[in-house]
Amino acid sequence: MALLEVSDLKTHFFTRDGVVRAVDGVSLAVEAGRTLGIVGESGCGKSVTALSIMRLLPTPPARIVSGSIRFDGRDLTSLSERELEDVRGREIGMVFQDPMTALNPTLTIGTQIVEVLQRHFGLDRRPARRRAGELLAEVGIPRAHERLDDYPHRFSGGMRQRVGIAMAIACEPRLLIADEPTTALDVTVQAQVLDLLDDLRRERRMAMLLITHNMGVVAESADDVAVMYAGQIVEQAPAAELFSRPEHPYTEALLSALPDLEDLEARRSRLTAIPGRPPDLVDPPAACRFAARCPFAERGDCCVLEPPALRELRPGHWIRSAHPASERHLSPV
Amino acid sequence: MSAVQIAGRIAGVDAGAPIRQSSLWQDAWRRYVRNRGAVAAGAVFLVILAWCLVAPLVSPHDPNEVDFTNAYQGPSWSHPFGTDQFGRDLFTRAALGGRISIGIGFGATLAILGIGVVYGSVSGFVGGKLDNGLMRFLDALYGLPYLPFAILALAIIGTVNFWTMVVALSIASWFITARVVRGQIITLKENDYVRAAKAVGVRWYAVLGRHLLPNTLGVLVITIFLELPGVILGEAFLSFLGLGINPPDASWGSMAQDGRDAYRAHPHIIIIPSLAIATLVLCANFIADGLRDALDPRTKET
Repeated sequence: MALLEVSDLKTHFFTRDGVVRAVDGVSLAVEAGRTLGIVGESGCGKSVTALSIMRLLPTPPARIVSGSIRFDGRDLTSLSERELEDVRGREIGMVFQDPMTALNPTLTIGTQIVEVLQRHFGLDRRPARRRAGELLAEVGIPRAHERLDDYPHRFSGGMRQRVGIAMAIACEPRLLIADEPTTALDVTVQAQVLDLLDDLRRERRMAMLLITHNMGVVAESADDVAVMYAGQIVEQAPAAELFSRPEHPYTEALLSALPDLEDLEARRSRLTAIPGRPPDLVDPPAACRFAARCPFAERGDCCVLEPPALRELRPGHWIRSAHPASERHLSPV
Repeated sequence: MSAVQIAGRIAGVDAGAPIRQSSLWQDAWRRYVRNRGAVAAGAVFLVILAWCLVAPLVSPHDPNEVDFTNAYQGPSWSHPFGTDQFGRDLFTRAALGGRISIGIGFGATLAILGIGVVYGSVSGFVGGKLDNGLMRFLDALYGLPYLPFAILALAIIGTVNFWTMVVALSIASWFITARVVRGQIITLKENDYVRAAKAVGVRWYAVLGRHLLPNTLGVLVITIFLELPGVILGEAFLSFLGLGINPPDASWGSMAQDGRDAYRAHPHIIIIPSLAIATLVLCANFIADGLRDALDPRTKET
């Protein structure tokens, strides 16, 4: 059994303008010690999925309307807030997108890490401080022990993200959720932070849920990849398989939207973009949600009539489309 | 909106989110000392406090000693503020009265702050149905008139002393503070670091106490000086009606009440405590104003 098993998760936001189906039937599994990447464009529900797992969404307006989140056999959706507080940080750690705002500006970073250690391990102040220094050193902050008494504003973005990572892994969680951990960083620092996350994951044998909109980040760090679109997973496969043999038209479009520096021809032409916009999640189309932007969907086609189910095209390669790349020559075009 | 305010808004927006090098309190102090009115008010406030604390200790006169041969004296070298109808030294008595007036003032203000902070922060932090319920309840309380309610409270408690005065004056005046704190908490809890603190499993009351409330400190300091005048005036009013502190103890309000009978022939008996109240209230207002400007980053350019 996988460490984290999410099945048919539906998280909806009940707003004045209607019910926003931000996450609408997501199932995924993260095996111990492996990295699952979730990719998708803004607003596709990646972050809401992560925050649902942590149970950190404000209720109201958000509510998990159905589905289960099993972590190590326990269903997180049925835990009380008090029990969740014991899970967060101890069993599941989380790294946030913007390191400039994810640390409290009025507390020293030492205080903030010590707080976590004391909370879960019940350490005294002195050993907690020593441990905090070791953690900072482990995430690659120079002169770590001296910097415990510095406030967050004395650190650069990349260094703050390292502090955030130190906080997230302080209590040796078995699962680390990284929500766009490199998006707010300089390009030069992004790779360093990704490498750090990967090293930590390997050394501590953690599982990782890596959420990003960047295909390159996924290619670098993930073992498996789930592609999300409009609140649903549309394709899921091992990373190598997904990049070599993408099946879903959306995945293909995402990959072809990547600029290619090798191809001289492409360098002179414009970047390819996916036409159209994602559907409205208050009133999503009854059938395939990608149909309106799909180059293969046609009028009267089955995919504008009924929603395609997620099916296993090859062992380990799941897809939600009536027009996977490998079946396209079969359909009369 | 005045031109200065608009300029302030624009300057605040242009500055974006600069990395703060000097601390908030250093910045605030620099801006505060530039406001001459506020500095003067602060100085006068301190002088009054010092007088209340020191004068009774060094005075040669017993504040409660009755001496009819010396009644109704005007100001003189031996009695700088004169004497009252019993011949008691007003300089010493007014200082003692000040201790009680200011003491009740600060006591009630802190009580207001205490109730307001707990009520407002829990309401804002927990949110949802609880917040809705607590705020509707507050709406209902909002209509309560402050002084009649204080009188009622004193009547129900039955005895009048320092602590019952504090209760009476704070019981119907914490509503605004609760609202202000709730608003602050609701704004602050949207910060990422609050979510980050929750994500590492910090208990909700620790998130509230360690990550949210310290950031409302500026507002709370302002609130102290905003509430203080109202409470001191309330105390004076109750004492003037004879509902306040019992003789021979005095507060400024009860001293003014003492001077009422002879206010034509010997106006100094009523003027001295009234002047003390007025000065203190004025100072508190100026200080509150100065603090608000000093602690509001939007006024940075002045």
